[in-house]
Amino acid sequence: MIKPIFRIKIEQLVRPVFLILLLFVILLQNSHAIDTPQQQGISIKNPGSDLWREVRQRDTAIQGTTQIKSVDSNVLINPQADRWTRFRVDKLINIGFIVLGSVIGVILVFFLLRGRVKIEGGLSGNMVFRFHDFERVLHWVLALVFLFLALTGFTLLFGRTLFIPILGHDIFSLLASSSKEGHNLFGPIFMVSLLMMFISFVKRNIYEKGDLTWLLRGGGMIGKSHVTGGFFNMGEKSWYWLVILIGFAISATGLILLFPSFGQGRIIMELSHVIHVFGAIILITVSFGHMYLGTLGTEGTGESMKTGYVDIKWAEAHHDRWAKHCHDNNLVITADEYARLQGKGKVGYEPVSTTAGESGK
Amino acid sequence: MARMKFYCDAERCIECNACVTACKNENEVPWGVNRRRVVTIKDGEPGERSLSVACMHCSDAPCAAVCPVDCFYTTDNGVVLHDKNICIGCGYCFYACPFGAPQFPMDGAFASRGKMDKCTFCAGGPEEDNSSAEFIKYGRNRLAEGKLPLCAEMCATKALLAGDADMVSDIYRKRIINRGASVLNWGVSYNNAKLRS
Amino acid sequence: MIDPIIGDFIDGLLWTFSVSVFSVGVTWKLAVIIFSKRQTDLSVARDSALAGAVKTVFSRFIADKGTAPHIKLHIIAGYMFHLGLFALLLFAAPHISFLDEYLLGFSWPALPHWAFILAAEIAFLGLLMLWLHRMLSRVSRLISTVDDHVASILTFVVMLTGCLALMESFNELRLLHRFCVELLLIYFPFSSLMHAFTFIPSRAFTGAWFGRRGINS
Repeated sequence: MIKPIFRIKIEQLVRPVFLILLLFVILLQNSHAIDTPQQQGISIKNPGSDLWREVRQRDTAIQGTTQIKSVDSNVLINPQADRWTRFRVDKLINIGFIVLGSVIGVILVFFLLRGRVKIEGGLSGNMVFRFHDFERVLHWVLALVFLFLALTGFTLLFGRTLFIPILGHDIFSLLASSSKEGHNLFGPIFMVSLLMMFISFVKRNIYEKGDLTWLLRGGGMIGKSHVTGGFFNMGEKSWYWLVILIGFAISATGLILLFPSFGQGRIIMELSHVIHVFGAIILITVSFGHMYLGTLGTEGTGESMKTGYVDIKWAEAHHDRWAKHCHDNNLVITADEYARLQGKGKVGYEPVSTTAGESGK
Repeated sequence: MARMKFYCDAERCIECNACVTACKNENEVPWGVNRRRVVTIKDGEPGERSLSVACMHCSDAPCAAVCPVDCFYTTDNGVVLHDKNICIGCGYCFYACPFGAPQFPMDGAFASRGKMDKCTFCAGGPEEDNSSAEFIKYGRNRLAEGKLPLCAEMCATKALLAGDADMVSDIYRKRIINRGASVLNWGVSYNNAKLRS
Repeated sequence: MIDPIIGDFIDGLLWTFSVSVFSVGVTWKLAVIIFSKRQTDLSVARDSALAGAVKTVFSRFIADKGTAPHIKLHIIAGYMFHLGLFALLLFAAPHISFLDEYLLGFSWPALPHWAFILAAEIAFLGLLMLWLHRMLSRVSRLISTVDDHVASILTFVVMLTGCLALMESFNELRLLHRFCVELLLIYFPFSSLMHAFTFIPSRAFTGAWFGRRGINS
């Protein structure tokens, strides 16, 4: 019973195999014909074919000439444009959103697992002066401007996906337009405050000997004893240099994008945009960590940027060398003195002499 | 509906720039913006070719893909237009377009970007057809008047073709066959005269 | 997008109302200050009171030598903010054309766009620094009232909405700016913002008193 089926199968195979062989022979003949075209007829090569091959199948924009005098008007096709479009539409918007979202998630999980990092033995109430008024003002100017730029940039990058379905095109257009103007306006303010930040904090942020140990011990997360630190510890220094370096990169590329009238072409602007956005996403991501550590993450840190004073126990825990320096120079003030300085204490804040003078009348 | 396309025949274009001028005049394009331009490759060398370039009205337009406010739309005729009421002048379409079609008006000391401007295939914008508001923002709406873009209609050598893609390609196919071009490389056009029309 | 009734209200009724409140309020407040009864100075005048008054109104623009080193931030940020604000207020092209059309009937040369942006940035930086200093410096915080913060924020919002409405491409953003300006105008006479006018009589009175007594300060 099996045999006939087998035979039929072989018979069915004969025809296709023959046909394939035939096709092969024809193709061979044909390829021979291609090799020697002059036998078949007159070959007239399209005079433009080389040109169009050059125009279409290459990676750099070819430069022609044109009567239209403007930037890049002599470029026929810019092949970089499509790559940039794909990057922005397919990768940047998705990946950027995932990165920003997951960092918030990671911080949340970290907070739930680890909780607030408490100072061993609690805060003492005795304070030590850490940041001047001007330094705090500068920090908050930079922080507010940074937040504003991050939010407006966020609107421009993710708004089409996130906000248009909710707000509609017309209202989102208002939001996007004001975001764009605001972003352009506050960009230079960011640069100026970044420059001031750089100048006023650079001295204390130069890496020194103990910093490597800090890094190897994961900032005190590995091991039990505290890691050593000066006025700024290794983590804070790294954040500072990240802000400065990426901040300057963002500023430079931002300027290129902001003033399109200095003859920079599209390719430069596309590259600038990529660097700008990459830098911004890195900076925003790390800034989430900075905000977390400054507020919820560790006990006693936020105070330093609010009043300029920190608890001496906090200083001993995170910046032991600086704390020792403060102890040595008698810079620690008591809780009462601190309250008086903040205008909250009962201790002799009212100008006593005036009342004495009045009673003496 | 029709699917509108431009086609520039490089074998015919003589770089007279009449299309550029016609476009500027017909649409009263702002200073510094040229919706159409003629690019010459290998200028002065053997094999010199000129091409008139404007918006290609892509089927999958990159400008529409990157626009952060989603102001681009494709009409029933396949013309890619943008809504200047929504446009915020960010310039992303300028980066995304391989042909450099969308441009921002360069007025002001630092080119404070106004709303982007681009070729409309002489089809105006979202405003009411042939209204003055439409003309001020986008220029003439010739399609609504039953006419084709002026750049193509003005072209002295008929190098620049505009219209329904089928008709444009028909015309071009006939031209190629008549030229015996390399698309049918082995002399077919000469051997098989019946392919000619 | 936005109801034309709201637009008409902001452009029409609310504008008239706020300008009336502003002008009546400011006039009344200044009148109260200038015409208030003062104790007559019975001392023999050593020098001209008027000359002292005029001199002091201007000399106080320069900070006191002894105090200046301690208030560098106030001086620099203060001048940045105020000069920037005046440049914006008086030399922004839309402001000039608005005043020309609805109020004055004449115009003057406007700042070019880049200078406008520069002025805005200087003003913003100054205002931000001043306001943050008000909150962060312990002395400034102790002497600040709610009114100071409201005035700072309101001024900031007016400037911000103005700059967001740049290019005047969106009527809604212009209306938002105008609405904020109207809030500011209504708030103005009842707040420390009155210092824009009262600094003159205040300096003049001190100056007159000093001048009469021959105090050179």
